[in-house]
Amino acid sequence: MLLHTLNSSAQSAATRNCCDLLTAQDTVILFGDGVYAGLEGCATSQLLRDSGAAIFALAPDVDAAGIGTKLATGVSLIDYAQFVTISAKYPGQMAWY
Amino acid sequence: MAESHKTRTLLVFRHPPYSSSLSRSGLDTALAAGAFEQPVTLLFLSDGILQLLPQQDSTSLGKRNHGKVLASLPLYDIETLWVDAAALSDCGYAINDLPEAARLADQALIRDMLAQHDHILAF
Amino acid sequence: MKYSLLVLSAPDSGSGNLAAVRFAEAVIDGGHQLYRVFFLDRGAATGLASTVLPQDEQNVAGLWSALAKKHGAELILCIASALKQGVLDETEATRYEQAAATMLPGFELGGLGLLVEAMADSDRMLTFGG
Repeated sequence: MLLHTLNSSAQSAATRNCCDLLTAQDTVILFGDGVYAGLEGCATSQLLRDSGAAIFALAPDVDAAGIGTKLATGVSLIDYAQFVTISAKYPGQMAWY
Repeated sequence: MAESHKTRTLLVFRHPPYSSSLSRSGLDTALAAGAFEQPVTLLFLSDGILQLLPQQDSTSLGKRNHGKVLASLPLYDIETLWVDAAALSDCGYAINDLPEAARLADQALIRDMLAQHDHILAF
Repeated sequence: MKYSLLVLSAPDSGSGNLAAVRFAEAVIDGGHQLYRVFFLDRGAATGLASTVLPQDEQNVAGLWSALAKKHGAELILCIASALKQGVLDETEATRYEQAAATMLPGFELGGLGLLVEAMADSDRMLTFGG
């Protein structure tokens, strides 16, 4: 049961490694460049969803990217207060950047 | 610091040894944890395994020999350096090429390690 | 819960540093304790006083200083990383015979022992890089 944070581009090794290690008990929070991995039609967003992990994206970065209406179903927007709430539930956080 | 339960921290290394100062910063963190007798586990993923390659000679770079310091970690009670088996074979090296403290970890073991430590620091 | 953060990236590059300070603010607003923020490697550049930003850019280092001022947040710059990047307090500026201290208020220089202590004493430790 692990919290993954991902702020690397969808094509990066970090993102690939993250996808490889995800389990259905995990949560992924996309922020920074990581939000693009949540785009509908992006192969990475499919990999993220296939893992069964809960997927969230930080709203300020989604807004900056202009992709709020283009996120895949199953990617939910959160703010920093919710980021903290999620982190309280997970002992460990793996930062992929 | 409480003696009843020492927190166990996993240090994950994902970058090559010399191009980014992060690898050195991570290693210095491991050395500090050893010096203060706080339990740490070291895991090398992706490009991080390159930090363990043999015969490093960083003299012309003017940087501390990263591989040598890693190989000396058992002196600081860090007995094992866990290595992503798939990443290692992808770059054409075998476990016998790496320092004696190196051990292979497959995906299942890596997941377990990530899930079972109290904290994870990613370098 | 007792939170500590490890910040590895500079305030003006990537997304990690800004995310870290917003997370830190939310930790405090959420009623948790922000025990320590440790700035290591490029993260230590956060404490550099002499930066001049374009008018249309957020002063991320200023957000950290404000956190220290308003809530007494403990912001530690790894001394080795800080010195390498030209961030010196009065003591180090004198020691190394530099013209002036270059560190922002609200920050302190400290060794990796403080990061190790945070590892031992915190309920949650998060890394922010990139």
